[in-house]
Formats: sequence, C-alpha cells, structure tokens
Amino acid sequence: MIVTINLRSRRFGAEAHSIDIVRPEMNCAAGNDDHAKRTAFMRILLTGAASPLGRAIIDELGENHQLRLFDNDPVEADPRHEVVTGSVTDADRVWSAMRDIEAVLHTGEPPSQLPDDELARDQMLLDLATRGTHVLCKAAVEAGVKRVVYGSTLDLFEPYPDDVYISEMWKPQPAPHMVTMSRYLGELTCREFARDFHISMTALRLGRLVREDEVAGQDADLLWLDPRDAARAFACALSRDTSQSPVWSSRWALYHVCALPPNPKYLIAAATGAIGFEPQHNFAANWKAD
Amino acid sequence: MAANKRVLFLGAAGLIGPHLIPGLADDYDLRLADVKSHPDGIDVDHVDVTDYEQVRDAARGMDAIMNFTVVRNDADQSFHVSTRGAWHVMRAAAELGIRKIVHSGPESVRGHYDHSFDINDPPLQPGPGYYMTTKMLSREICKAWSRAHDIQTICFLFNGLGAPPEGPVSGSDFPPFTIVWPDLHQACRLALEIESIQDNYQEFNLHSHLGQGKFSIDKARRMLGYEPLRNMADMYRRPI
Amino acid sequence: MGAKKKVLFLGASGLIGPYLTPGLEAHYDLRLTDVKDHPDGIEVERLDITDYDQVLTGAEGMDAIMNFTVNRSDPDLSFHVNTRGAWHVMRAAAELGIKKVVHSGPQAVRRWYDHDFDVDDVPRTPGTGWYAATKLLADEICEIYARTYSIQTVCFLFNGLHDPPAGPITGRDFPVMSVVWEDLQHACRLALEVESVPANYQEFNLHSHLGHQKYSLERALDILGFEPVRNMAEFYRRPTEMS
Repeated sequence: MIVTINLRSRRFGAEAHSIDIVRPEMNCAAGNDDHAKRTAFMRILLTGAASPLGRAIIDELGENHQLRLFDNDPVEADPRHEVVTGSVTDADRVWSAMRDIEAVLHTGEPPSQLPDDELARDQMLLDLATRGTHVLCKAAVEAGVKRVVYGSTLDLFEPYPDDVYISEMWKPQPAPHMVTMSRYLGELTCREFARDFHISMTALRLGRLVREDEVAGQDADLLWLDPRDAARAFACALSRDTSQSPVWSSRWALYHVCALPPNPKYLIAAATGAIGFEPQHNFAANWKAD
Repeated sequence: MAANKRVLFLGAAGLIGPHLIPGLADDYDLRLADVKSHPDGIDVDHVDVTDYEQVRDAARGMDAIMNFTVVRNDADQSFHVSTRGAWHVMRAAAELGIRKIVHSGPESVRGHYDHSFDINDPPLQPGPGYYMTTKMLSREICKAWSRAHDIQTICFLFNGLGAPPEGPVSGSDFPPFTIVWPDLHQACRLALEIESIQDNYQEFNLHSHLGQGKFSIDKARRMLGYEPLRNMADMYRRPI
Repeated sequence: MGAKKKVLFLGASGLIGPYLTPGLEAHYDLRLTDVKDHPDGIEVERLDITDYDQVLTGAEGMDAIMNFTVNRSDPDLSFHVNTRGAWHVMRAAAELGIKKVVHSGPQAVRRWYDHDFDVDDVPRTPGTGWYAATKLLADEICEIYARTYSIQTVCFLFNGLHDPPAGPITGRDFPVMSVVWEDLQHACRLALEVESVPANYQEFNLHSHLGHQKYSLERALDILGFEPVRNMAEFYRRPTEMS
C-alpha cells in the first residue's frame, strides 16, 4: 500500500473564518474634478499612522472621513478620530481595530522605534511586512472590508538602468536589503488575499518621501515624492472598489507613484489613468537647478 | 577521489528528511539538524532556523544547505520557520560564501489549475493560507538573495511524497503529482551537483507518475536532467 | 534547389494577411484567399472558410495551410468562422495528407496573468467573450487533429501587431506582448520550415519587445528558433543625456 504524505493544506490553520458579512457599497460621487476627494465618507483604519506618511494621510483624509489611527506609537490627532496603539502582528488588537471599518490604508511604514542591532531590526521589519500584513488582511477579509491599500516602494526597480521607462509591466528586482525586500513581500502577501477573496486590493509603489519645501537647493532625484502627494495617492486609491469582480487580476492592482520630473524614469500614467493621481509637488526648482 | 561535499540538512527529523537522508548519506557528508529528535533515534544537531546565529554556526564549513523545514498552519510559527528561516539560510549562505542551496515547499499550482493540463511552469497561485503564503514568501527571499549573491538555488515543490507501492495496484488510478523517495533522492543529488542554474534560482514541480498529461516535468528534465527512475504509473496497470 | 512549398493562405485580405504575405512571397508559392477584396487590390481567390468544400478544394495540392481568418464579435459568425473554420482546415489537411498548419488567434494569457512575470507555457484562461472563446475551441480542434493525424501545427497567439516605430519614442514604456510585422513574417517562415513540434501541436505568444520579463519567448526560441529580429524596446529608451 502506498503511504503518501499529503502536503496540501490551503486554508488558514484551524481557525474558522467567514467572509460573508455584507456591507452597503460606498458610492463615489463621480464627476467631481478632484478625484482624490470624491470618495464619500468612510470609516478608515490607517496603519503606521504616526509615521510621516501616516500624518500626511491624516491631513489629507481627516476632514472627510472617520479615521482609526493605528500605530505602535500613540498618535496625536483631532479627538474625533480614534487612536489604537498596538502592533499589526497582534491579531487580537488588529481584529478589534477592524470593527466597523470600511477601508484599510496599510502604509507599510514601520514603527519609529526599531532595534539598534541590525539582525534584530531586519527580523522585525520582515515580521511586520509579512506576518503583520497577513494578520491585517485576514482580519479585513473576515470583517467584510472591501478596500485595502498597501504602501510599497519603487526601490524594487533600482537595478534597472536609467535609460528605460519603468512602468508596472517591469519585473521587480528587489535587492535583499530588508527595508526594500520586506515591502515587496508585503505586496505579495496582500496579492494572495485578492486572489482568493472578494476584496479590492491596491498596492502603491511609492517613491522616496521628501517634502518639496525641505529640499531646496538639493540635487533632484527621480524617485522623489512629496508625502502630501503620497497621501493623495492613498486618497485616490480609496475610490477603487473592484471587490465584486469575478477576475482576481481586477481585484488586485498596482500603481507606481512619484513626482513628475521633466524626464521621468518611473512612469505614473497608470495611476493617473486609473485612480486619477496627479502629483502637485514636482520639485521643479530642483530640476531647473540641475 | 575528491572528498564528499559537506551539506547542512535542516529539517532532518521532519516529514521528508528521514526518508530523504538515506539516499544522500553515501555520497555527501551530511550535518543533520532539526529542533526535534529523529524518529529513528539517529543523532541530529539541535538547530532552530528561527535563530540566525544557530543557522550560521551550523552552516560554517558547509558546501551546501538543504532546507526541508516547515511549519504549516500555525499563524505565527509558519512565518517564523518558513519565511524568516529561509531568510536566515540565505543570509548565512551569503555571509559564509556557500554557493548552493536546495530549498523546498508545497506546490502552488493545484487549486487554480486543477482543471488544466500540461501544467509545467506557470505563475504560481498560492493563495493566502499560512502554509502557502509563508512558503511563497520564502521563495521570493531565496530569489532575491540568489540573484544578489550569486548563490545557485534549486527549489523543489511537492504535492505528495511516499514510498513506491510494493506491488501492482489495481482498481485505482495513480495519485497525481506525487513523488516517490528514490526519485527525490535522485533530484536532490542532481540539484547538489549542478554547476549553475538559470537566473541563479529555479523551482520545479516534481513527481514520479507519467501518463495523465496533467503535470509536466519538462522543465526538470531540461534544466536538471531529472527523469523518474521508473514511471510509477506502471504499478497501476489495469489487468487485461 | 527544390520547388517552393505551396501554401494556402486563408484570410489574405484581413487585418494580418496583407502585412504578412509580402514577407512570405519570395519563399513560398502562396495561394491567397479570402471572402473579401484585398485592400491593395491584389488578386485573391474567393474562399469561404465556413464552407468545407471550398476549403477542401482550396487546399488541394498544398504543402501547408495558414489560417489567419477571424470574426471577432459576431455571436454566430465567430463560431462559424473561427471554430467551424478551424475544423474545416484541419479536416481538409487530414483528408489531403497535408502535414503542416499554421494557425492563429488572440493571446489568452493576459487578464488572469496580468500581475505575473516570466509567463510562457501557461494554462489558458480565455473567458467567455465570443472572440476568445471561439478561438480557444479552434485551438482545441487543431490540437486534436494534429495529434491524431500527425499534422505539425504551430499556433501563434497575438496581443498587438503593428509596424515598428518610425523613430525613437520618449516618455512612454513599450507595448506589452506586441509583435512587429517583420518578426511575424520571420516566425511564420520558421513555423513553415520546422520539421516537427513536440506533441504535433504548439502555441506561442509572440512579441518583439524584450526587457519587461513579463511574457517569455523561451519556448519559441527552443522549439522554433524564434528571436525578435531586432529588440523593439530599443526604440523606447529614456534619454539620459539632457542637453
């Protein structure tokens, strides 16, 4: 008799999960010229809320949406927003933070306090990007959330020469540096949820965050992105709900997001066309001085 | 005659290790390692892949590392062992100049491709389960490190593994996508011996049963020279 | 030197034929056929692929058949032209002992694989649209006949086809899985010349732009020896010297 070890087990461990919680669909008030602001009121869970990117997103969305601000560090914010302190790797904490949430903005930004030791730091970054993202996506699916936006990085294309135009069609070549690689692994973790569940997942591959007013006189960089524009990209991505698409590749989407220099290498046409992202801070003075 | 290659075997006491090691022990100088004791009482070094120092110390002086560790369904340990463990292995290989890795994981072609045929090397569709996701992430880590540090990494993907039937089996079809131990021995020897592999990293769906036209082994044939020692489908012939 | 191979070309006046046949004429004795006039006024024989007798008569004495007919979105004609037409072609090849068929159709690897890389020999996922579904059925018919009658059948699958750019293009990435006419002509010559293909039937997603690592040409190289005559991605270089 053949003895076979069957290695197949596709489902989450022993835990039960349910994806049948139905929520009313949100309507985008189409026709508004400001794409970023057209998404109607939502209750939004924001991770990495204390990071510079998180703060920029609070400024962008705080007025029109109810935000639940999640971070290891306490976040100071307008009292009408809720603050939850904890780690994305803490399943119980994440589960309770997901209650009544309609959209998740998972910035992917690590907490400010990281271990000094390089190995311990990299272990933590890996754990946050992989297990943390998994905990968050699983809770989102189980809570019936229809929209998740993840913050990845354009550094995945660093090995490509400067004489090519990088669109979303190019194969990522992440270096094994954990800061870069972990964001890529976070992307892939999100993607598997979009593959198997009716949830709309958007990954934004962001350039390097620098405020335009803080880099006066510096040499311009093709990857620069003002955090205010990064926040606008998250706002734009909120308008996307393809959760009911029967085709997984429509439930998942990736957009490249950076400023628009005179001779761009990283093309943002897809983000402009699909979610209406148009950067406002393009570092023109830095490029002119070049 | 050259000395045997020295190979660190992680997961020596697991589901696969005890069946694989006997096929390698004659030709390689194996350092067996695991976090638990071997089911047959064979001596294994205690190495926890979730601890980088333990992996690095065990890998010192080795020519190759074989990673057959896994945690399947634990929400935390699956990440620590399967994902972080793979990172530790690649990092140790880079640090110590080890140039060959044999990695392992579950097939990620069933489910979404269950109704297709001639399935060879399609994009994998692992899905979000702990086992599938953490092993998918581990393969991406292997890929990034192999590319950056010129480490030749071969990853074998399994659906079922088992001993060959003792005699003819009638009344049932053979199992799809299942490899018998002698073929896995062969595949691992080929992987340990091959000089280099395209893009420094390749993964292979391995099995031992030819005939259904469902899962193809063309890529393993072409790149590794793998061929089932005996087509196991021959054990499942209908008597006529 | 042997006589030129005789090739029946179906769809000579269509979207692809007029750009493809000029690259074959010097090498093959072509019988150009279609149901409509050639856009350049070149003479084509009337042949309606939905009528088996016409296909059989057209194929008599031929060494190969190239099927570049298509109807994309008519609910009835798409079945008649794409599916029944492909059946007629394979049936005629079997009946007449013709051992080479070059078939064509739309790619069926985008959409489901839009987020993947190194996509080559993958299970096809055409979906339910008339064009993709009827062509998928056509491919299956080709495969069955190829296997049964040892007809060496090469099927080319396209996403975009066009001329090469007239000059450098800036500010844009190059098109995905898109083939220029010169490469298609090259590929078809290789397909007409190849002695045999694995399993008597192979399909290839063709393109002319290398760099994305999205759609792989590895099998086309292995089996046919196909490589783009020139990497069209070279036209889409970002200028790095700003003057």
